[in-house]
Amino acid sequence: MFKMERNIYQPVKCEVIDNIKESPNINTIVLKPEKEFSFLAGQFASLTVPGIGEAPFTPSSSPFDKEKLEFTVMKVGRVTEKIHQLKKGDIVGVRGPYGKPYPLSEFKGKEILLVGGGVGLAPIRALFLALVETYKDYKKIIFCCGARTPQDYIYKDKIFGEWQNLCEKIPLSFRITVDKKDENWKYMEGVVTLTLDGLDIDVKNAVSVVCGPPIMMKFTTLKLLEIGFSESSIYLSMERKMYCGVGHCRHCLIGDLFVCKDGPVFKYSEIKDKPNIWV
Amino acid sequence: MEKLYINKEEWQGFVKGKLNGKIIYAPFEENNSLFYKIVNEENIEKIVYNRVRTVEPFKIFLFPFKERVLPEIEKLNEIIIMGVTSCDLNGIEILDKVFMKGEFKDPNYKKRRENLFIISFDCENPYDSCFCSLVGVNPYPEKNFDLNLSQIENGFIVEVGSEKGKEFIGNDTRFYNVNEGQLKQLEDKRKKVIEKLKEINREFDFKNLDNLKGLVEKEYWQKVKDIDNCVSCGSCNFSCPTCVCFLLEDTSNNGDFRKIKVWDSCQFPGYARMASGATPRPTLYERYANRILCKYWYMYENFKIIGCTGCGRCISGCIGDIDKRKVITEVLREKVNV
Repeated sequence: MFKMERNIYQPVKCEVIDNIKESPNINTIVLKPEKEFSFLAGQFASLTVPGIGEAPFTPSSSPFDKEKLEFTVMKVGRVTEKIHQLKKGDIVGVRGPYGKPYPLSEFKGKEILLVGGGVGLAPIRALFLALVETYKDYKKIIFCCGARTPQDYIYKDKIFGEWQNLCEKIPLSFRITVDKKDENWKYMEGVVTLTLDGLDIDVKNAVSVVCGPPIMMKFTTLKLLEIGFSESSIYLSMERKMYCGVGHCRHCLIGDLFVCKDGPVFKYSEIKDKPNIWV
Repeated sequence: MEKLYINKEEWQGFVKGKLNGKIIYAPFEENNSLFYKIVNEENIEKIVYNRVRTVEPFKIFLFPFKERVLPEIEKLNEIIIMGVTSCDLNGIEILDKVFMKGEFKDPNYKKRRENLFIISFDCENPYDSCFCSLVGVNPYPEKNFDLNLSQIENGFIVEVGSEKGKEFIGNDTRFYNVNEGQLKQLEDKRKKVIEKLKEINREFDFKNLDNLKGLVEKEYWQKVKDIDNCVSCGSCNFSCPTCVCFLLEDTSNNGDFRKIKVWDSCQFPGYARMASGATPRPTLYERYANRILCKYWYMYENFKIIGCTGCGRCISGCIGDIDKRKVITEVLREKVNV
């Protein structure tokens, strides 16, 4: 029988149910999809503001949450500015999920190091929430967070509250820093690579997941290699200009690899020899 | 595949008979070049057979410069294209793999593909910019056509390439079985064209194209002086039979979801630039290298065929007069000497 194929560019209609200010230039937009939208941690979706444009984001909500979908978005351009202006009841579109997720089955039995900087904490949040849900599968989780200043931190009530409280119940620890502290800051001061000094981790049985601005990913990767992580145990979340999300338009190529199809999560070993990876 | 013979005048009569209700495009001469135009009763005798490729790449019929993809186009007319050359037919392989054969299917491509009837032509007078012979493509069509026309004395050898092609001819009595002498004529003609292409390209060395792999450092490319003449116009991309890059634009004005797809060029400085302003290819050399590496390395990894069919449009259309063959020959020589 002839089966009508769904148009690959057709988004799922979503209603904006909240738009939360996280930091001076980052918001989390909370959406209620018209029908269930499932994804795995690390996969991304394309978010359309009708008539304005579309941009790819990795959901920051838990993949286990089937009721709502959240994206944490930094205001950097035309589309993200409109996303920041969205109000309750507005309608947007989401298509996806696209790309390969974090390979959680390969993480089983291992120590997991999460390193997130700035808005790079967004994809890591989805992963973190998935890990917490299945924490018995892993030996321990170490979460290193960085931001420029205390007020640049996103998920403040989680990072400085709820999530830290979990440390008493599950094998989880946090290392928190800012590039520049203020008078009320109780944690570390310095770039996020500083949190990797003196880590209690068995690098031979560990994986690390890094997401943040390119410069942060570069120096974090170099540091992780120095500590003894193998090239294939470092997972990087890559970002490129993207339109189609499905491997057609070729904008997101890193050499011969599509960020949209082969990524957005790559092992460092897969991309280290590709052109200009640290952009 | 079945080969038939038809006299030239009879062929024109045959085409005239098909004009009824069908849109037929064919190559016509304008300023010494060939362009696709719609065939009608008046211009039918001016169709240029078996000369060389057209100025526009054939991909415009499958992947137009600009088209709506959401909602998809519902009705597409069946069209007949005459005069497609081997270089362009080879380009279809890449287009098919991108838009039709992967996990995600383009909303319009398959319909366009199915609505096309292709009557290809042998190429007899390659331009100085033609180099199909360097990339393993013959100057005569071998696949992806419904019918192929090869000019011989007084008429054409018509090769049937598909069931659709067979039906198109039907039981028309103007077509005869081809004889040995005619086939010999064709073989000799084709050999001469291949010789001509070899002569045109004798200075260029494409033997070690594999060595382009890994040439990502801009230092290799900066040494090739000709690249300085690139003005980032994108003509090489837009005229290429295998360049498939596009961008998507939202055109909704009442809250619904509408998208159009428009060609884009990796030679434009903003092509890969992200909202933050960062781009992986900030210099002209990196952007120029990207196009070459995409054709001969990335596309090979992606589709197991190189993304160049030797049509030479990127050379003849370059306003900086950059000869890609020379650039590749020099870059590869430079690499060997390092």
